[in-house]
Amino acid sequence: MTIDIAFIFEALKEISKVLPLTLFMAVTPVLLGTLIGIIVAFVRIQQTKFLAPLLNFYVSFFRGTPIIMHIMLVYFGIPIVVDIIASALKLEFQSSSIPILVFVILALTLSAGAYASEIIRSGILSVPKGQLEAAYAVGLTFSQAMRRYILPQAFSKSIPNFTNVFIGFLHATSLAFFLSVKELTGVANIVASINLKFLEAFIAVGLIYWGVSAIVEWLAHRIEKRVTAYSKGGI
Amino acid sequence: MANDFDFTLIAKVLPILLQYLPVTLEILVFATIFGMLLGIVITIPKLLHIPILKQIITVYISFIRGTPILVQLFLVFYGIPALLKLVHIDVTRMDAMYFVIITYSLSNAASFAEIFRAAILTVDRGQMEAAYSVGLSGIQAFLRIVLPQAIRVAFPNMTNTMISSLKDTSLAFSIGVMDMVGRGETLIASTTRALEIYLALSIVYYVIVILLEKVLKRNERYLNRYMPKEAASS
Repeated sequence: MTIDIAFIFEALKEISKVLPLTLFMAVTPVLLGTLIGIIVAFVRIQQTKFLAPLLNFYVSFFRGTPIIMHIMLVYFGIPIVVDIIASALKLEFQSSSIPILVFVILALTLSAGAYASEIIRSGILSVPKGQLEAAYAVGLTFSQAMRRYILPQAFSKSIPNFTNVFIGFLHATSLAFFLSVKELTGVANIVASINLKFLEAFIAVGLIYWGVSAIVEWLAHRIEKRVTAYSKGGI
Repeated sequence: MANDFDFTLIAKVLPILLQYLPVTLEILVFATIFGMLLGIVITIPKLLHIPILKQIITVYISFIRGTPILVQLFLVFYGIPALLKLVHIDVTRMDAMYFVIITYSLSNAASFAEIFRAAILTVDRGQMEAAYSVGLSGIQAFLRIVLPQAIRVAFPNMTNTMISSLKDTSLAFSIGVMDMVGRGETLIASTTRALEIYLALSIVYYVIVILLEKVLKRNERYLNRYMPKEAASS
């Protein structure tokens, strides 16, 4: 077996057609996960009774188990729950009509929520306490202080971490291949199987992931420079 | 799929899955050791700014960080036999375990290299100068003064790499390694109960990750034993 360079380009063209789907599968969970993360982070910082220990477990469980397990648990677990609810409410709804993609995105969202909450929590805790006190001193309420002072600083400090999470989840979408979703890795496998050129197809898909990751990193770096422009000096 | 969820099955499969835990840990241990060694080797050209080698290593690290571990696994699995065929060595019958260890070592090496480099750069330059001024040689100064301080900085990040590497081992089954997940897949085929088995696997992973975290935290405290209290607790 020698490497067929021409086929790599062919595979690149074929595989990159599903790049939008992969990007969608990565962007949606990270955005929704950030929302979950903000809520979870606040509950954990405020140490709300009952809810905080529960969410502590949520975060540690999702950070402590492989993402493939989340995908599999959601894929096999949610239909059972849905069917029980549907039969209890006597609905004409079958869990088998839910597209696989929904399960993957749900699993990745839950997972992203746990990772994002840790980042946001450490971001908020990294803002000096004096900032909040200063905001109170000039008469702002807690939510005003959070929205105008604390969260913007927390987010600008967490940009590198969010970049890592986004790239991590871009890579995690490759796991949807196990549920035969036709995303980058899934299509690469199909292209490889049809032409019996596995190495070439996986080189092609590797190049696509690499390119996208590099672009994301470059963009994040530019955003970070702009957002933290005011906070030069200091350390 | 049946609608009734069988809790007793989880208890029943846990001991079976645990028999395959050593395979998972074997991958983790070898990948960590080889990853660290290779990581040290590829950090040196970057620290010493050796031309060409430095650029090659930068590209290598960027590629590893830019591709999913699953794709890396397939690339090694299909790529190494193809490469070795050029020098007329046939490894198509080689145990998939070797490919897995090679992949995770290569992947860990990139992470470790970045961690080591960052940690060594955080040590103040004055430390090296002070070491020279009391008559230590370059290697002595590095080994006795810079390295112990760098390890302290690097350790939390190394911990994270090890833990994510442990979680990544769950993909080894995709190229046919009989580890915990691989055994789980065969159990699913024979019992047709996927949810219970994935739940059992998740429990095993969760418990090991927590145990590993505890052990590594204790080591971290040991490395920080000379630091002032507030710095050590961070």
